[in-house]
Amino acid sequence: MTDVLIVGAGPAGLSAGIACAQHGLQVKIVDEFPRPGGRLLGQLHEEPDGTWWNGMEEAKRLLEQAEKLGVDIDCGVSVYDAAKTKEGWSVSSSHGNFEVPKLLLATGAAEMALPLPGWTLPGVMSIGGAQVMTNVHRVRVGERGIVVGVNILSVAIARELQLSGIHVDRMVLPAQNPVTRDAGNPEKVFQSMLRVAHLAPSTFMKLGSKLLKSKTMQKLALQFLPGIGGIRMWGIPIQLKAAALEIIGDKQVEGVKIVKINAKGAPIPGTEKVIPADFVCIAGGLYPLVELAAVAGCPFAYLPELGGHVPLHNERMQTPVEGLYVAGNITGIEGAKVAAAQGTVAGLSIADEFGKLPEKNLLSTAIETVEVVRQNATIQFHPCIAQGRATVKNMSAQHKSDA
Amino acid sequence: MESDPIIVCRCEEVTLQELHETAKSYQCSSRELKLRTRAGMGYCGGRTCRNLIDMIVNEVTGKSPGHSIPLGYQPPVRPVTFGLLGGHK
Repeated sequence: MTDVLIVGAGPAGLSAGIACAQHGLQVKIVDEFPRPGGRLLGQLHEEPDGTWWNGMEEAKRLLEQAEKLGVDIDCGVSVYDAAKTKEGWSVSSSHGNFEVPKLLLATGAAEMALPLPGWTLPGVMSIGGAQVMTNVHRVRVGERGIVVGVNILSVAIARELQLSGIHVDRMVLPAQNPVTRDAGNPEKVFQSMLRVAHLAPSTFMKLGSKLLKSKTMQKLALQFLPGIGGIRMWGIPIQLKAAALEIIGDKQVEGVKIVKINAKGAPIPGTEKVIPADFVCIAGGLYPLVELAAVAGCPFAYLPELGGHVPLHNERMQTPVEGLYVAGNITGIEGAKVAAAQGTVAGLSIADEFGKLPEKNLLSTAIETVEVVRQNATIQFHPCIAQGRATVKNMSAQHKSDA
Repeated sequence: MESDPIIVCRCEEVTLQELHETAKSYQCSSRELKLRTRAGMGYCGGRTCRNLIDMIVNEVTGKSPGHSIPLGYQPPVRPVTFGLLGGHK
């Protein structure tokens, strides 16, 4: 008899499973991907203190701990519905139905697209797709690639492709259109990149982050940024003043037509040229994958600082729907360490609901840990995350008092 | 500088131009835009384009998405066979 079903075997789901199992609950975790670990499987980067974050190792550690505690993990299982019953939840999956008292959704995030002419050609993939092919499946995505979209995630993954011996020719912005917007605006992109400048090995970016606190200085710096040639991180040209107009190719990607742009993102006519490439990565950022929370009847909050629509939930990771919990990127886009800390909270919270958490302070400590981990995160996906988190908490409390 | 059209909904092959023009003439919601063009109604269940549809509506009408999700989700949220849904004996 399963006490709790967890959808998603990433850092949040595994950590939650561990916390539940440690308190005597029968846990089942399902994941759509053939291997447990979620986004951890693709992660490999150097921390500012010089140590390496190896997601694959982290996933292995969590998995071993979960298995030792008797957590039942099933991969390659797609959940397609979750309906409330008198006793709990009826969850439908590609591998049968599960009837469980408690349901935790740790489904993570999905990638946003940046549509351009030619983006449906074979050889165009999302940056996350390239990461999974490279780091998980060990498949070479191509010989020479161009990344369209400059953000925290794409810069980190471009570095991973490079570490795997794949040539990333350059990173450019998408040409501005109604569905690329800020991603095609050099000023906006530059500002967001300054927040992760401390991670960069290049002196330009490091110096930049110190000097460029003021808006005026940022504008000035951007004017002098070379368009073609650009700044470099790990030798990869990051061209904030070049935009991809179109992906060229007959049956597959053959190149990308780029154009110089001004500081506002407007193309400079006559500067177009075609850069040869056999693969293109589109990087539009992440949004919380909330489909199951929606069909389960959970109310939402729309908070762009958390990546879009997120299920309402309190600090204990409970949604307003009885027996439904959330943890990880489904609650807002943040790093794997925050997701894992949230998973632990959700697990303890569920154990408490079953009356199996005699040490109440464990839960309050875990809630505090989420805050600490968030504050110490090396990568802040959005400058207003704390604000967004506070809004969700207030909305959740308001929803409770209204009900 | 005429280039190929920009496809927004890959499953149903709906272009940015068509979505933009439809949103403009009807000043409509994401849901109405979906129903008029079929954008978001394909195989992937709108996982790739739902945010883009909301963006286009926001751009054209000035209305940003509210707290409730503009384009609803219906089960099954993954492609499944009829057999799985109970069609087999």
